[in-house]
Amino acid sequence: MSSLDELTALISTYQQAFTEALGAADAAAASARPAALDALKVAWTGRKAGKIADLMAHLPSLPPADRKAFGQQVNALKTVVESALAEREAALAATRRPADAVDITLPGRAPAIGHRHPLSLVREEVQTIFTRLGYQVLEGPEIEDDYHNFEALNMPESHPARDMQDTLYLSQPLPPPSGGVSPKQAEPAKADRSGTTRRTLGPQPLTLLRTHTSAMQIRYMEQHDPPVRLVAIGPVYRRDNLDLTHTPMFHQCEGLVVGKGITLAHLKGTLLAMAEALFGAGTAVRFRPSFFPYTEPSAEVDVACIRCKGAGCPVCKHTGWLEILGSGMVHPAVFEAVGYDPSEVTGFAFGMGIERVAMLKWDVGDIRLFYENDLRFLEQFSV
Amino acid sequence: MKVLYSWLRDFVDVEDGPAEIGRRLSLRGLALEGIEPAPPGEEPPGRAPIDGDAVLDFDVTANRPDCMSVVGIAREIAAVYRLPLRLPSPDASGHLRAAALTAVDQATFSVALEAPDLCPRYVGAAATVAVGPSPGWMQRRLTALGVRPISNVVDITNYVLLELGQPMHAFDHTRLAGNAIVVRAARPGEALTTLDSKARTLAPSMLVIADATRAAAVGGVMGGLDSEVRADTTRIVFESAWFAPGSVRATSKALGLRSEASMRFERGADQTGAARGMARACALLEMIGAGTADGTMVDATARPYVPRVVPLTHAHVEGLLGMSVPVVEVERILDALGFTAIADASRTAWQVRVPGWRPDIARPEDLVEEVGRHHGFEHLPATFPPVFQAPPPSDPRIARDAAARRGMLALGFSEAISFAFIDAAAAAPFAAGEPAITLANPLSETFAVMRPSVLAGIIDAVSHNRRHGRRDVRLFEIATAFAARGERRSLAAAWTGAAGGDHWSGGRRDVDFFDVKGVVEHIGAALGVPLAFTLVEPDYLVAGRAAGVVAGARQVGVCGLLSPVLADARGIPRADDVYVLELDLDAITATAPPGATRVVPLPRFPAVVRDVSLLVDDTLSGATVRDTIQRAAPSTLVSLREFDRYQGRGVPAGKVSVSLRLTFRADDRTLTDDEVGAAMTAVLAATRTALGAEQR
Ligand SMILES: [Zn+2]
Repeated sequence: MSSLDELTALISTYQQAFTEALGAADAAAASARPAALDALKVAWTGRKAGKIADLMAHLPSLPPADRKAFGQQVNALKTVVESALAEREAALAATRRPADAVDITLPGRAPAIGHRHPLSLVREEVQTIFTRLGYQVLEGPEIEDDYHNFEALNMPESHPARDMQDTLYLSQPLPPPSGGVSPKQAEPAKADRSGTTRRTLGPQPLTLLRTHTSAMQIRYMEQHDPPVRLVAIGPVYRRDNLDLTHTPMFHQCEGLVVGKGITLAHLKGTLLAMAEALFGAGTAVRFRPSFFPYTEPSAEVDVACIRCKGAGCPVCKHTGWLEILGSGMVHPAVFEAVGYDPSEVTGFAFGMGIERVAMLKWDVGDIRLFYENDLRFLEQFSV
Repeated sequence: MKVLYSWLRDFVDVEDGPAEIGRRLSLRGLALEGIEPAPPGEEPPGRAPIDGDAVLDFDVTANRPDCMSVVGIAREIAAVYRLPLRLPSPDASGHLRAAALTAVDQATFSVALEAPDLCPRYVGAAATVAVGPSPGWMQRRLTALGVRPISNVVDITNYVLLELGQPMHAFDHTRLAGNAIVVRAARPGEALTTLDSKARTLAPSMLVIADATRAAAVGGVMGGLDSEVRADTTRIVFESAWFAPGSVRATSKALGLRSEASMRFERGADQTGAARGMARACALLEMIGAGTADGTMVDATARPYVPRVVPLTHAHVEGLLGMSVPVVEVERILDALGFTAIADASRTAWQVRVPGWRPDIARPEDLVEEVGRHHGFEHLPATFPPVFQAPPPSDPRIARDAAARRGMLALGFSEAISFAFIDAAAAAPFAAGEPAITLANPLSETFAVMRPSVLAGIIDAVSHNRRHGRRDVRLFEIATAFAARGERRSLAAAWTGAAGGDHWSGGRRDVDFFDVKGVVEHIGAALGVPLAFTLVEPDYLVAGRAAGVVAGARQVGVCGLLSPVLADARGIPRADDVYVLELDLDAITATAPPGATRVVPLPRFPAVVRDVSLLVDDTLSGATVRDTIQRAAPSTLVSLREFDRYQGRGVPAGKVSVSLRLTFRADDRTLTDDEVGAAMTAVLAATRTALGAEQR
């Protein structure tokens, strides 16, 4: 016969052993822990060979009066063991992942998405700004005649801007364009202007690549009466060698507003609105008197340096200002060329380089990058 | 135009230093290009050296020949600073003196103006000289402005040119045959060796200064070598004249010869400046001890100069500028710039006499600019033009191009922009038998021909990316293509490398014909124009991997595999398959169905789907099989598409197993099995009879 005291001491030993085994399982590496706990569970709670069952086997050896007390002690130990193991099992279950779990750190299967060209982005931004301001957006022919590109813009034969080194000419003249401004202009035809002094000689053969989008001004005004409020955007061509800031083809945005009482101050307000939309609220603009044959007065327009906000930095050559466009009041000779009466209407015009804006906006140091179409460059711009 | 700060101070007592002057003039129309320290050296007699003397370099616009002189810029400074301008005159003292010359008809030489349109005024004066170096102060001033000192006589001509903007020339008097100066058109083929020792052949459109027998100078451009002033010259004739801008410009261009003189004459020199220049030159001659002027000048005038008078109203000034400028300010500015403004009784309008040195002022607007720039554009308010009507619609091409662009971006193509001119070799494959549009004066052979196809630039862009280690490239461009019959807007694209599945999980597949065909179909859908395909195999595509794209009855593009020969010629690795497409967007939209898309109501009755596999000859086109089925099926067949093609085990050689999915549906009832069964029987019968197809 065993005595209760002996068995109570035995239970104590078992309890001690379980605490140690549990501590060892807890200390095992995370990967070994589930197996250690499984082994512990089998060793202690197994129905035949488990240690609890092993203790219970001593029950018949006790006097019946002690059996109840012993049973309670073993049960207490069993509760401790079971709850400790259940607690750990629950913790493990909470971190255990299904067998088909994915590794979320692997790269996703990205759908192919194209990137916009930065010049296309600026062009669209400018179009959006002026559409919002109530302008019509137009495109025009890139191969032009001398009349629309130069003569009607008050650049007679002898003007320095017509030097061969500036303009790219065709080897063979092309027949004059048949249509008007664009193939699908849903515009009423221009009223008859007999009596006005037009210099138009009728359609001229096309001989050159337009050097500025200003040629569009003439084509439009020839066919439409004032008021006019348009922007024309597209490629233009000059005989400039490639360097950091020049390419023989670049993009221009031309603006033209004609009506009664249009002033230079209106131009300033308009360009201020554009500058704020392009470069951020509070961007200051500055007008500097200049010269263009087709405007009078003429002004170059600067915006406060977008890097240093006017304090002076290498980008603005420490002046605090960045030149972005040329502008002015439409020269009366231009109005006369298209049959507008300069005593009736005035107008303003401006021409801005799209590349210049893109270079400033994104800190592009070399204009040639826009024409290499290197995907490492293009992919830096939004989709 | 470079000017020396200390030289400017001869004419205006400005307190500000060079940098501040440059800053303020930049806001008044003379943009400062740069400031450099002045070279050290002597000052004119009686003048103290200035600390911080500097050379200011101004960008003078083409309309302002008057500012190609020290006095011209000094006049602008005087106007900005509201200071008086001091000019050389017979009354002035020291080195600012001008001689008082007596005008005569005939001196030791004669002047004849035989081409009064090209030279209406010519002033000559003779002097006895001792040729030697000019004084240090004069040499320093010339050097500072970029002109090399030569001799006292020649330096005087250059000094007057720089100071007053009046070009001068000095002839060796003894070399003028017949003591005559004849201003005339060159004779056909007339020869002259100019000062730069180059033999020139002249044309009758050119103006020469000749003696009794032959040309001695090209008028307003350059003197002749034979009559130049030499070390042993003792008698000279100074020339101070006005030559017509167009003639000088054309002559200078034709001879490829530009000089300080021609640059001023071609922009328009002072029509009243000839005598002033001469008076100044003769005074300088004596001042620096280079000789003694005879004291007379022959002032030949073919046409008296009539100053231009331009009317101006105060309302016009404020109306064009959109800012208020007080009447006194208008008058102050005009006066400071040398205009004479005579006000009407109400002092709201003026008759403004234009000085000879301002050939750019011809209209009231020109005067408004003068007033505006000197009052200051910084005073312009930022107002907004009134809007009286809604704008007309924008060019429809813009929205159309944007739709095509969105379509291409969504398909993973990045946007390219290329130069419109390409080299002839790159253009040739796309010329389609039409003559290329070539440039007369291209920058280089690389930019000699206007692209007949936008593909040319895209192919070069692919090449660039491949050469920079990029394996998978998708690029597109929407731009103008050029042909003699006109410009057209083209969408071109290229695709090489992976078509999809480039992922660690595998499944990578290279692009093939059906990828690029799918792009075309997608763009057709984006533009609302159904596009069909036809057998077209241009030389620049690989036969058997190419198709023409058709809208309506018109071919509007191509797609397919780029010829490896062409790819190789543009530097693309030989092993690369580059699939390309080009669509004529203008032609596509011209065939667009009119009117807006309308929504079709969703079907009310269920559809019945039947799959069928047919064994047919593998030479039979998919289109033939579909057409046969479509003709045989009732109108309840609403969709028909291939979903599998199989050749291999179980399929006899020369045959292909084609699996098709047929969808039947009626708008007014649920189809019965019998109806669909009958339709399928008809379809199978037709394919058996017409195509010899067996059902698998
Ligand atoms: Zn800055």
